[in-house]
Amino acid sequence: MTSKIKDFPGTPLTEKDFEQGRVLYRHDKIEAWYAWDTGTAIRTYLAALQEGILLGSYCATCRKTVIPPRTVCEWCFRPMDEYVPLQDSGTVNTYSLCYVTWDVKRIEEPEIPAVIDIDGASPLCGIMHKLGEVAPEDVKIGMRVQAVWKPEDEREGAITDILYFKPVKEDRS
Amino acid sequence: MSILGHDPAGPAAWLGDLPVTSRYTFGLAGERFFRAIKDEGVIMGTNCPACDLTYVPARIFCERCLASLETWQDVGTIGEVYTFTILFVDKDGLPLDEPEIIAFIQIGDGGLVHRLGDIEAEDVEFGLAVEAVFKPKKSREGAITDITHFRPIKA
Repeated sequence: MTSKIKDFPGTPLTEKDFEQGRVLYRHDKIEAWYAWDTGTAIRTYLAALQEGILLGSYCATCRKTVIPPRTVCEWCFRPMDEYVPLQDSGTVNTYSLCYVTWDVKRIEEPEIPAVIDIDGASPLCGIMHKLGEVAPEDVKIGMRVQAVWKPEDEREGAITDILYFKPVKEDRS
Repeated sequence: MSILGHDPAGPAAWLGDLPVTSRYTFGLAGERFFRAIKDEGVIMGTNCPACDLTYVPARIFCERCLASLETWQDVGTIGEVYTFTILFVDKDGLPLDEPEIIAFIQIGDGGLVHRLGDIEAEDVEFGLAVEAVFKPKKSREGAITDITHFRPIKA
């Protein structure tokens, strides 16, 4: 559609027009900072990440383990019973190949966001993270993956304390 | 640990900043209006002969008859206080050391919203004749703040 239009109405501008002062403009930055209260469960989850542990929470009534941990069970609405440390490995539930950055710049090598079902959590309870050390064409649903952590002294209690998940070389003999 | 307890070592709040920036160009009339302020220190308007209206700041079309406006004119730097308000807090709601006077200054059939200066708040009145005070030409950048404020014309 737009390829058929040769002349668009209006005044086209290029980056050079701004740089060389051919057009007047106002540059603005909105102060959009925020503080999000992490709450009881996520606060504990983030503290555990700093120590290199993936933490879930367990409901003894429903026998469900979820990650990230919640204080209330989604199935029976009772308070959950305890925090449980889980393994830092899991299975790729689903994934995507992303060829743009968050601010929509093109990238050659795709980022691979994936939902990873964490070992020790109930089926279909997973977290979203990135995959690494793997060629995009080799990613498969059901693939076994393992967390790659930041060095301990660089961790800050954030989900980015895990750099990415990498495939586990499985011994099939 | 009980599920309702929490780890005090964990971050209580997650801090972030949304990097939202914008670049606003003033448009055909705005470009010429602000160029005139920057380069010549004059305020420009456009006149619609059919409606007998002088738009300030300049527009490219008449809001009343929608005709294209071709007649640009220097409307001078003098206007009248049409209405005003006195600000005691800044944009974050913090008290100001000195109250600011913001006025709508009628020029032609339009006008500008700007600061009043060189005057005490109690002396401001409707209809007061005021003139624009420009920044020195070197530091003007093509913005409404190239006019620092309006001040009463000394009799």
